[in-house]
Amino acid sequence: MTCEEYAEVGLDLGCVSEDNSLAQAAQEHLRTCPHCAALHENWLMLRADLRLMGRESSEGEAPARVEMRLRQDFRTRHKAMKTRRAALIAAWSFGAAAVFIAAFSLLTWRSGRNVVRRESSSPVVAPFTNSAPGVRTVPAAGVELGDVVVASNNSGEFTLLPGSMPSAMEDATVVHVEMQRAALGALGLTVNEENAGDLIQVDLLVGDDGLPQAVRLPESAN
Amino acid sequence: MRTVEPNDRDDVLLRRSAKGDEEAFLILYRRHQAPLYRFALRMTGNSWAAEEIVQDVFMTVIREPRKFDPERGALGAFLYGVARNRIMKHLERTPRELSLDSKDEVEPASHKLASPQLTPAQWAELRERREQIRAAVLELPVEFREAIVLCELEELSYEEAAGLLECPVGTIRSRLHRGRALLLAKLEMLREVPRRVNAGR
Repeated sequence: MTCEEYAEVGLDLGCVSEDNSLAQAAQEHLRTCPHCAALHENWLMLRADLRLMGRESSEGEAPARVEMRLRQDFRTRHKAMKTRRAALIAAWSFGAAAVFIAAFSLLTWRSGRNVVRRESSSPVVAPFTNSAPGVRTVPAAGVELGDVVVASNNSGEFTLLPGSMPSAMEDATVVHVEMQRAALGALGLTVNEENAGDLIQVDLLVGDDGLPQAVRLPESAN
Repeated sequence: MRTVEPNDRDDVLLRRSAKGDEEAFLILYRRHQAPLYRFALRMTGNSWAAEEIVQDVFMTVIREPRKFDPERGALGAFLYGVARNRIMKHLERTPRELSLDSKDEVEPASHKLASPQLTPAQWAELRERREQIRAAVLELPVEFREAIVLCELEELSYEEAAGLLECPVGTIRSRLHRGRALLLAKLEMLREVPRRVNAGR
């Protein structure tokens, strides 16, 4: 081993498990080279000093005030985060509630408007006829809310008027009226214009609110 | 929610800490602060700077816990990485501050282990030598200093040092080699060494 080769690996010997042959060659070189032997000895002394210095301060640690400052920061930060999260949840809840109230108000307002419109378009009913409390009716098969109902009904059953709810007819009254055929148009039924001026007999099913809910046309009226 | 255990893994503690578990954060801090503080102290030679650096490192843990990616390595290596960045910044800001104010800060316990049989003259000589060595270490270029601090002062293995500094073992080995040679040169130990007589062998 030359001095250059020793310089490459020599100071490392003893620090790590080197190849045995390399360690032997280094030892051999140290025996024959006073320069490298002195260098090695100096390094061993310096290393011992370094290790001693390291061990003397091996228990060194950050002062307690660092931990205190960090704990303070940790608490402040996470408290702020919690507050922010709570504020966010509150804001979302408030927003959702506002949307719900708005939707509910809109629905209420629309249904109220429908009632007013229906009231204004109802025909005048002659109050002379008989009443049959407790009459329960079933809408004609195939007739649904919102459908166009034609003023012809041969089945003898009541036909639900557009916009009426079957549930609103629990305690309905049957009213027999004479009216112009054209007045059926105001109830949402389609009327043949040719006979619009004819007077016809009609059975109206009137709900608790006084509004006609369903209509029955006797065969003679068709 | 289960309570944290002192032997919980770092990543578990970090996750709990990120969710606001102060106990988890404290365990994490107490587990890592001492080696980080010593590393910072030996790298800067200044206890105030070391204190600030440790605080900065753990502030990062508090404020940006997601910066740590367990896929990329251990939390210890991550913390050393953050500490190294802070140390570099400190050294760039105050490069000349190093060897001036560090005498009793780096080795506060040196008097404890000194042999009671030492005469005052020997004691003074020992102290002087320690100061020389400390100053020589602090004057080393940063990358060599890191290797010397971790492998010689902290007595970590090459593999451990390579893990913390996130570099290959060969790099640690070569930095140590250069660092040792520089250290010997700075301490003028080479002056006492006889001239090479067999350089050609």
